[in-house]
Amino acid sequence: MATLIGHSSILIIAVPLLIAFLTPLIGMASKKARNAVVIVGLAFVAFLVFALARDVILNGIHIYTLGATFPGLTIPEGTMVPVRIILEVDGVSVFMGIIVAIVSLVAVIYSLSAMKGETGQNRFYTLLLLMVGGTFGMVFTGDLFNLFVFLEITSISGAALIAFRTRFADSQEGGFKYIVVSAIASLMILFAIGLLYAQYNLLNIGALAAAMQYTMLDRIALVILISAFVMKLGGVPMHMWLSDTYSVAPVSITVLLIAASQASMYALMRICFTLYGVTLDLAVVGWIIIAIGLLSMFIGVTMAVRQTDITRLIAYNCVCEAGFMLVGLGVGLAVLGDRTALGTYGTTAISGAIFHVINHALFEGLLFLVAGAIFYRIGTRDLNQMGGLGHTMKFTAMFFLLGALASSGIPPFNGFASKILIYESVYQFNPILTIIGILVSIITLAVFVKAFFSAFTGALLPKYENIKEVPKTMIAAMTIFAVIIIIFGLFPGLIVDWMVRPATDALVDQASYINAIMGAIP
Amino acid sequence: MTLIVESGYEFWNPIIWLIAFAVVMVIVYFFRRRGEEKYKKGEEQAQIFLCGEEVPGAEQRQVRGGNAYWGFFETLKEYYDVIVRPHTGIVNDYVVWFIAVVAISAIILFVVELVG
Amino acid sequence: MTETLIGNFPFVAAVVLMGIALYILIFRRNLLKIVMGITILSSSVNLFLVTLGYRAGGIAPIYTDAPEGPMVLPVVQALTLTNIVIAVATSALILSLVIRIYRHTGSLDSKKSRRMKG
Repeated sequence: MATLIGHSSILIIAVPLLIAFLTPLIGMASKKARNAVVIVGLAFVAFLVFALARDVILNGIHIYTLGATFPGLTIPEGTMVPVRIILEVDGVSVFMGIIVAIVSLVAVIYSLSAMKGETGQNRFYTLLLLMVGGTFGMVFTGDLFNLFVFLEITSISGAALIAFRTRFADSQEGGFKYIVVSAIASLMILFAIGLLYAQYNLLNIGALAAAMQYTMLDRIALVILISAFVMKLGGVPMHMWLSDTYSVAPVSITVLLIAASQASMYALMRICFTLYGVTLDLAVVGWIIIAIGLLSMFIGVTMAVRQTDITRLIAYNCVCEAGFMLVGLGVGLAVLGDRTALGTYGTTAISGAIFHVINHALFEGLLFLVAGAIFYRIGTRDLNQMGGLGHTMKFTAMFFLLGALASSGIPPFNGFASKILIYESVYQFNPILTIIGILVSIITLAVFVKAFFSAFTGALLPKYENIKEVPKTMIAAMTIFAVIIIIFGLFPGLIVDWMVRPATDALVDQASYINAIMGAIP
Repeated sequence: MTLIVESGYEFWNPIIWLIAFAVVMVIVYFFRRRGEEKYKKGEEQAQIFLCGEEVPGAEQRQVRGGNAYWGFFETLKEYYDVIVRPHTGIVNDYVVWFIAVVAISAIILFVVELVG
Repeated sequence: MTETLIGNFPFVAAVVLMGIALYILIFRRNLLKIVMGITILSSSVNLFLVTLGYRAGGIAPIYTDAPEGPMVLPVVQALTLTNIVIAVATSALILSLVIRIYRHTGSLDSKKSRRMKG
């Protein structure tokens, strides 16, 4: 068991890739076998992620050097800098890994029914597993270029999956916009990585952080990296691709795209807190991120209110929630150098943002799954066509209500727990941010009241009299999300103490991240 | 093992919230018990009454999603005109916004470095 | 000033290529030209990366029967090769998506073929 945990970080990335390449072969033989292999594989990966999480939270940062004689050999004899690709898993990485593990399992369980009539399902599951492997790679790696490679893997397979249902014209357009935006962001990221390599001759994040001197070229690289990752996670004013893309993809893929966007948020955290740390102009960069966050919150939610397409509405809400996380992170970054402020409200702001990441993935995922269930049954996403669906689709309506209340930050659900952490801490930094946040939450409630009342309440329309409830596996997938939302809502203290606080401490503590790499001389 | 989230300035315990909610639900139940008991569902009593007019079918009666919050949108018409215009959906504009953000952030960082 | 520009000519070329690529991406509406813009952007980043590794008078970084002297950096060459492979995959995917968009909407213009806005 100990060796399994010792090698778990590379297994978590390698097992999805391996099963991705086995899937077409098994699928040629039998569909049921292929589905079983995919689910069993992802369940094994989830088990590994939870075991690794327990190990990291109890024992500290977990290092894995690819290709060395033993995993901890980061700096071999005779060299002064780390060689080889090093996977460095700390509290934040494993937190993101848990999110991806849960979300990928739910996506596959949902796809079992949702993708039933489609052709080319072998390729669907292959691409899905590639995307899962890519996202795990993004959050576990300790090497900048490896981050770029896994970002590209995730983007390319994601774009192919968005455009999977080729009979819909808007899916093709969404896939095209996603791949263009991702390609430009990734190439700019590679340019910035080239700039950093040119100066320090290092690609490892820990080693770069130790050598960072914040010259003029480093500033250019920082600006390019922050803008590119903010574009990938959907911050205003680069958010417009998000509503086009999330609304037209098959919803199990949208759920994975949300996980991929949160992986970009993780990359942003790594760049700002660990790679640059306190060497950057904390107040300025912090306020830039806070400004982007405020714009995202406000523009995201006001655009969401006027949509008539249900998935586009939820996608604009994703932009708003990304704004909340950016505000929390910006406040934490702005006070990173000030020890008292960091202890008083800085770590709480970062904790709120990190807790909001998993809450966002859960309730937005649940809302998208419900919208996909509606589309599966009635074939349209237009709110002007829907009405009275709650008479027949009772479970779906209940899940939508749960997701809507959680998203708006209504007690006792999990959205409230993370939002109150953000509100209370950000208020001490600047009260206006909290006021805008509360206002935006109220408008979020308005958005979902509109969607719920248009779709589910009202008299039973004659054209929807034969609509039955959606298949059992889709209900099961939504139930998993709903149960986790309720548990996180009822016991937020447990989650914060065991998952979020270690993540925050790992993020703020740049020294231990560097020492895990540089101090590990055999 | 605490079940609360506490950050030095606030205290949030969902169990207490649920207990308060249960107490309120009990009070609501006692209010409902004092209500009218002779209510028969499905008969004349439960039908929609429009002052004697004929009730249109469900298709015409349903308030569609696009009509919600009309007053809100009327009041904020100027704001929405300003906000909706950049959302063109053209890929080239997405690139323009990215370059704009990079340029503005770079200018802000350099100005701060030159000044302070 | 001109001496620095001529001495660092590959870097200047990479930046000029990046400028051309961004111009294409911002101002050209044809979807195929947007694909070309992404390809040129990828080429400019590749050129930038390879130029970073150059050391004056350097030889290829192979140790077998190597003559004396400095070697150019091999790591950036690995980065460039990886980027070329990624660009191949991206180009294949994006061109197939352009074909699909043309079949559905009948237009290759980014303004006329869009169906979603607002």
